[in-house]
Amino acid sequence: MPPAVRRPLLLTVFGALALAAAAPALADNAGFTPVTPESPGAEAINASFLWVAVFTGAIFLVVQGSLLWFVFRYRRGRRARTDDGAQVHGNTNLELAWTVAPVLILVAIGAFVFYKLPEIVDAPAAAAEEQELEVTVKGYRFYWQYEYPNGVIALDRMRAPVDRNVRLRITAPDWDVIHSWWIPAVGGKFDAIPGHVNTSWFRVRNPGILRGQCGEFCGVQHAAMLAELEVMPQDDFDEWYESEAQAQEAGRGDLGQETYAAACAKCHGMEGAGDIGPPLAGNALVNDPAALEEVVRNGRGAMPPVGRDWSERQMDALTSYLREELGDGG
Amino acid sequence: MAADPSAHPVRPEIPQWQRGRFASWLVTVDHKRIGILYIATAGFFFVCAGLMALLMRTQLAQADMEIVTREGYNQLFTIHGTMMIFLVVVPILAGFGNYLVPLMIGARDMAFPRLNALSYWLYLFGGLSLLFSFFADDGAARAGWYSYPPLSVYLAGAGQDLWILSLHILTISSLAGAINFVVTIHNMRTRGMSWTRMPLFVWSIEVYAGLLILVLPTLSAGLTLLLFDRQFGTNFFIPAGDADGSPVLYQHIFWFFGHPEVYIMILPVMGIISEILPVFARKPIFGYKAIAFSTVAIGFYSMLVWAHHMFTVGLPNFLNGFFMISSMIIAVPTGVKIFNWLATLWRGNLHFDTPMLYALGFLSTFTIGGLSGIFLAAFPIDWQVHDTYFVVAHLHYVLFGGSILGILGGLTYWWPKMFGRLLDERLGKASFWITFVGFNLTFFPQHMLGLLGMARRIYTYRDDPLWEAYNLASSIGSYVMGVGILLFVLNIVKSRRGPRAGNDPWLADTLEWYVSSPPPPHNFDKVPYVTSSRPLYDLRRRLRERGEL
Repeated sequence: MPPAVRRPLLLTVFGALALAAAAPALADNAGFTPVTPESPGAEAINASFLWVAVFTGAIFLVVQGSLLWFVFRYRRGRRARTDDGAQVHGNTNLELAWTVAPVLILVAIGAFVFYKLPEIVDAPAAAAEEQELEVTVKGYRFYWQYEYPNGVIALDRMRAPVDRNVRLRITAPDWDVIHSWWIPAVGGKFDAIPGHVNTSWFRVRNPGILRGQCGEFCGVQHAAMLAELEVMPQDDFDEWYESEAQAQEAGRGDLGQETYAAACAKCHGMEGAGDIGPPLAGNALVNDPAALEEVVRNGRGAMPPVGRDWSERQMDALTSYLREELGDGG
Repeated sequence: MAADPSAHPVRPEIPQWQRGRFASWLVTVDHKRIGILYIATAGFFFVCAGLMALLMRTQLAQADMEIVTREGYNQLFTIHGTMMIFLVVVPILAGFGNYLVPLMIGARDMAFPRLNALSYWLYLFGGLSLLFSFFADDGAARAGWYSYPPLSVYLAGAGQDLWILSLHILTISSLAGAINFVVTIHNMRTRGMSWTRMPLFVWSIEVYAGLLILVLPTLSAGLTLLLFDRQFGTNFFIPAGDADGSPVLYQHIFWFFGHPEVYIMILPVMGIISEILPVFARKPIFGYKAIAFSTVAIGFYSMLVWAHHMFTVGLPNFLNGFFMISSMIIAVPTGVKIFNWLATLWRGNLHFDTPMLYALGFLSTFTIGGLSGIFLAAFPIDWQVHDTYFVVAHLHYVLFGGSILGILGGLTYWWPKMFGRLLDERLGKASFWITFVGFNLTFFPQHMLGLLGMARRIYTYRDDPLWEAYNLASSIGSYVMGVGILLFVLNIVKSRRGPRAGNDPWLADTLEWYVSSPPPPHNFDKVPYVTSSRPLYDLRRRLRERGEL
């Protein structure tokens, strides 16, 4: 087979194979578009994606199509190397055409992006009686801490009510590194930067659990810095919100375990058996809250100061959880 | 007593110890030998960084593999990226430039031959300090190739400092090399070679060198401040009470260098493509001036787009909008090039020798990389796909599908000139096709992974059948690519006994093909007078008219 035939043939075969491989997965859009949007902002981003895909797809077909066509049509055949092709040096009108046409396409793309932008950055106007929820999202090595207006603290899993505007203030403590908060189904990612506050929002229509992960490389446990968003019916959320506030106030509840799972277990293991961090089970520190607090607040060796700014309440919850689970039971 | 130099032409006295096969390479100031040293060294680093990539793809073949440790994985992607950019693509293009620019413009050597040698040796030792940083306490740098603070300030161990040291050395090397290129191109062109008759590869090296001179000092400054933050307790990039630094400042500094760097890595490759296509289409390049001016335009706009790497840091949206528009503007001169290359094929007499296959492969894959770039330029879409595998796919389509394919094509094109031997065509074509298929299999599925939500720089990922399927395809593709590169190396080794090339095996148009292969140390006994951008085409025509060919 001459190479000129082999090339389009191979491309066709591989194209067909790729499509065949992709077909069964297409049910879940298989990564050909961003994940199914659950919030108006993510929907508008998806619409922009599809808009760009239409134009880039067309350009793709024009360029690859004419490449294949020329390769086939103008192959050497029986011609010798000394035979000249057409000695054409250029054409001003053509140059103008393929300068202006891309400009027009880019104007169309840019205009659509700016048209969609308000839907992406501005939350829809809330009804008068609806109260927006504002959550502070803080990125720590290597967990997410969420602070609610009533003082409730949650880690890694954020809980939010369905069909209500949730506004986010995204930041990181001064001594930490840059992270990026990202749940693909509710929209784009925004960096959690020490010393800066970024804002974002979402409004999810259906209850469920949405998954995401830290988007900016933040060190050894970057891959483990997962985030979840649990969207609950309003009543369920209100109940959780109130009872959790009371429980955390009274020092009851799961805050200790949640803190351990998010901030400690990724390096020391859920059972305290150790991983890249030393084992905690049987470690004298777990029975000594003051010494433990010292390490947690200031870090030691490779361990970052994971809890430098935790409240007394959160610190107590962690130290008593550790003592009960891994120490002498207090 | 002063002798009359014209009476006794001075032959440089070469001491005996410098004449050996090995020693002569150590002391050489010949631009051709320095060019070959650059290319060989970059080839060595390419294999090193490629093996690192294969190790990473093995780790990622399935979820929760334990081929390398977490810290090990972070070191691998940091050094893979740094090495491919600073030790492979930029210097191998300096190698091509060194070898070809004086020959193409009809000069005896580079303007400053000794400075040229200094550039090479700085590059070699800067590169080795990066490679050997794996043996430092706590291993090599592990904060990514752009090493954002505060992370890069807080990471313990000498690896990060060696990374800074190595980049400082490489910066000086590139800067000296770039100045050398500019002086050579401006002052040493042969009679008749005006700016619009200069080979397009030389145009691209001119812009490459200009960009390096403009942006490398910014990188040096940023690296120095980073070193201060690490070692001397300053707070340029970390917020700390009164002395309030900003991590975002580093990102501005880094990407003001980092984005032009992308074009530094692609423009000379576009120059290579502009040399190969017309020779194998038996045509003049279509739209010489449009291609030359679009090179300059891309170089200029490349300095106005840096913050499109920073759409997620929370810049005001009017700035995001500005950088979206400026990034999209760059697509226009890039499109002009692609359309002119396509038009060069139109009504040609296309010969599919190995260099041509690489050039056509470049056209196909680079276009995909350019188109995925439009998604990334639209900042709300970037909020979604930033720092995901979509970006990894995009940058490899541009840097492998673009730069590396073009570089491999350039190597197969000029290999006969450099070493006087032809490469094996069958082996060359097999190598191209295997690399091309492997490349697409590796990187196309990564677009999908990114859209599914897979972040980059993670040593493992969600245990999901679709994620694992795409990742496995990608890993298999990387091995296929490895086989293709292996065949390329085999071909090079075999060419030592290949047929002799003669001066001009491709019937090409530019001056380097006028001299013998390999060229004599002084390049030209006599340079043909240049009356167009295709002096050898003109020469062949004159000879034919006189019946001498």
